[in-house]
Amino acid sequence: MPDSQSSRRERILVVDDSEMNRSILADMLSEKFDVTEAEDGEVALEILSRQSHIFSLVLLDIVMPRKDGFDVLTEMNRTGLIEELPVIMVSAETASSQIERAYELGATDFIMRPFDASIVYRRVLNTIFLYAKQRKLIGVIEQQMDEKEQDSSMMVDILSHIVEFRNGESGLHILHVRTITDFLLRKLVKKTSRYPIAEADIPVISLASALHDIGKIGIDDHILNKPGKLTAEEFAVMKSHSVIGANMLQGLTAYKDKPLVKYACEICRWHHERWNGKGYPDGLAGDDIPVTAQIVALADVYDALTSERVYKPALPAEKAKEMILNGECGDFNPLLLECFSEEFDNIRAMFTGSISENFAHREVRNLAVAAINPKAVTASERTLKLLDYERMKHDFYAQLTDEIQFEYNVESDILRFNQFGANKLGVDCEIINPAANSVLAEQLGDKWFDILGHILAGTTPQSCEYRRECQLSLNGEMRWYSVIMRVIWTEDAEPTISDVIGKMVDVNSTHVAMCQLKEKSMRDPLTGLLNREGIKEELVHKFDKFPARKYAVAVFDIDDFKNANDEYGHLFGDKVLQELAERLLHSTRVHDLCARIGGDEFLIVFDYDGDYDIHSIVARVYKALCGKVDTFDLSVSMGVAEMTSVDQSFQQLFNKADIALYVCKDNGKRSYKFYDVSMGDTVPQ
Amino acid sequence: MTLQQCYQALDGNYDDVIGRLRSERLVQKFVLKFTDDGSYDLLLRSIQEGNAQEAFRAAHTIKGMCQNLSFTALGKSSAALTEALRGGSLDGCQQYLPQVKADYERTVASIAEYARSLD
Repeated sequence: MPDSQSSRRERILVVDDSEMNRSILADMLSEKFDVTEAEDGEVALEILSRQSHIFSLVLLDIVMPRKDGFDVLTEMNRTGLIEELPVIMVSAETASSQIERAYELGATDFIMRPFDASIVYRRVLNTIFLYAKQRKLIGVIEQQMDEKEQDSSMMVDILSHIVEFRNGESGLHILHVRTITDFLLRKLVKKTSRYPIAEADIPVISLASALHDIGKIGIDDHILNKPGKLTAEEFAVMKSHSVIGANMLQGLTAYKDKPLVKYACEICRWHHERWNGKGYPDGLAGDDIPVTAQIVALADVYDALTSERVYKPALPAEKAKEMILNGECGDFNPLLLECFSEEFDNIRAMFTGSISENFAHREVRNLAVAAINPKAVTASERTLKLLDYERMKHDFYAQLTDEIQFEYNVESDILRFNQFGANKLGVDCEIINPAANSVLAEQLGDKWFDILGHILAGTTPQSCEYRRECQLSLNGEMRWYSVIMRVIWTEDAEPTISDVIGKMVDVNSTHVAMCQLKEKSMRDPLTGLLNREGIKEELVHKFDKFPARKYAVAVFDIDDFKNANDEYGHLFGDKVLQELAERLLHSTRVHDLCARIGGDEFLIVFDYDGDYDIHSIVARVYKALCGKVDTFDLSVSMGVAEMTSVDQSFQQLFNKADIALYVCKDNGKRSYKFYDVSMGDTVPQ
Repeated sequence: MTLQQCYQALDGNYDDVIGRLRSERLVQKFVLKFTDDGSYDLLLRSIQEGNAQEAFRAAHTIKGMCQNLSFTALGKSSAALTEALRGGSLDGCQQYLPQVKADYERTVASIAEYARSLD
């Protein structure tokens, strides 16, 4: 469990009758966990009955003396402990019926003997982690449900208070009725299954009970607040509040199928009916009266008796109870009267404290109970099992690859690595607040966090994948990594980033190989100079990077090279080319680019500062190129074009140099010529 | 005698146990502990007293320990005996017990020899 790892070690109960088996497990786990041992099921149950809360997990053998593993599971089911405390079976049992039975009794996992130390460790860790997560989720659900309930509860309270205040009452009446209704309902569903009331409906019905007198809004003020006894006509009008209330609620067409409205409607109409049929407005009897209305009727009567009204003082609780049980306030369902008697002490106790606080407190408790209702948990346990299985599978595959895999959760600020990644980086598998982790920062360099920040800022729910090759320093060594990430967004109306998952694959060797290949493809194999493609690419870089510098282009070829080939053979021709390349490299400077762009055709791009005189540079290079190779008298013809304005492109310079080269050849070769405008702008055919 | 030789002598799988438990120190510790376990005595006593259920449990424990320690031979014979006893009758004993006895004695003797060589 990540959030408590620092503060507290988890404790595991190991139950096995063989001392050796226990100590093997204890030894495996003792590094990360505290271990308590029990030598059979009876001892285990005894320990659990005293202090189950200190354990995060049980490792349970099946075949044991006195009480076996199934006895332990059965007992844990009886007490409900199985819902909270995960159990992993560890057994040499191979019969599938036994394994199936263990799962049916709520075991989370089954580890077969002989087991592998790291697998046991991993499964224990995963199970503990999952349960911690589940507990956290239940907490979140509880809170959200609580907030929603509180909102609607508040609206109902406001509404019913309007009625109450108009009625000249304190406003406490509806709260009392609500509380009593809640008590009686819970008692009733425990007592009998006669009424189909779901646990989840109880808070809704209690809430609906607050609306029981809402019809009074339609009753004339002077009748409603008349201090003395009502006349028969006035009483008839007063009685109509039940039907008025029900009609009002039925008029809410958009909500009339909502449970709250449905219950409120029947409560409004029938909360003055009586079990013997002598109530109003419809004279219903027995269970023809909806049970919700029966309960509210009783709650209403009790609170009216114990409260002060304009026409009467408050009666003591005992007296009110007596009157109700004696049938002095009308006839009630005997079963309900039973519930009332049994809950009487609780009801009375509630009203001595601050009722609203008590009620809020009780509601929260009930919601919490609903959230961890065993049925719901059983359903999700399958999911947990599946999750556990998926995680195991994932871990297994993750172990097999040489990839650094990671998951980052924004809310918890936890970064998890797979084992390989953690080993590679020399960090723990789980890192809380990774941005502050110095080892991580040192290993990956600041660049890594820049990338992460950039990704988080740049992705959207529509485009949430990110791939890039980048150089990272790992253990002080710069290597190329392919980084692939996926950003996971929440599914809210306004999505936010919840997680980032991804991996980093070391692609250094392929990357280097690619670079070498590319480098190779740009070079002429014979001379090692750039080839035509190579110089094009280099020029693009150069012109991009330093557009303001001055450039000159020289094109040249070897005079009478064909003769050299014919006379001395091709091998000698190659030697001449190599020698020429050598001279070229020696006479030019590092910023200049030299290329062999055809058979015996070469190109120089001079990159010179304006202060230098290009003419003297060319003269020096030209001189260096010429001179005997063995007996062959090597000379070249060269055309040069210098850049006259910055907007001249390389292609234009090249064309001009080419024109100058032709002019030079026409004039008897063995020299160089600078282009000037008199040479025109086309190459002579 | 090395631990590996001890495993050879008792017909166990040394590579397997090291692969699972990851540490020679651990394996040595539990191998030496094996002789202290009372399950074998319990097995013989239970069979003598005609208590099939207790005999099953004892055989099962021996099988489990052997699986943990990769004692192949004894693991195999005790597994066969466990299955024979599972039904709650001692009928299978005659057939499987002699092999368990032989394997157990060989195992214990090998461990004892290994333990002596450590002194």
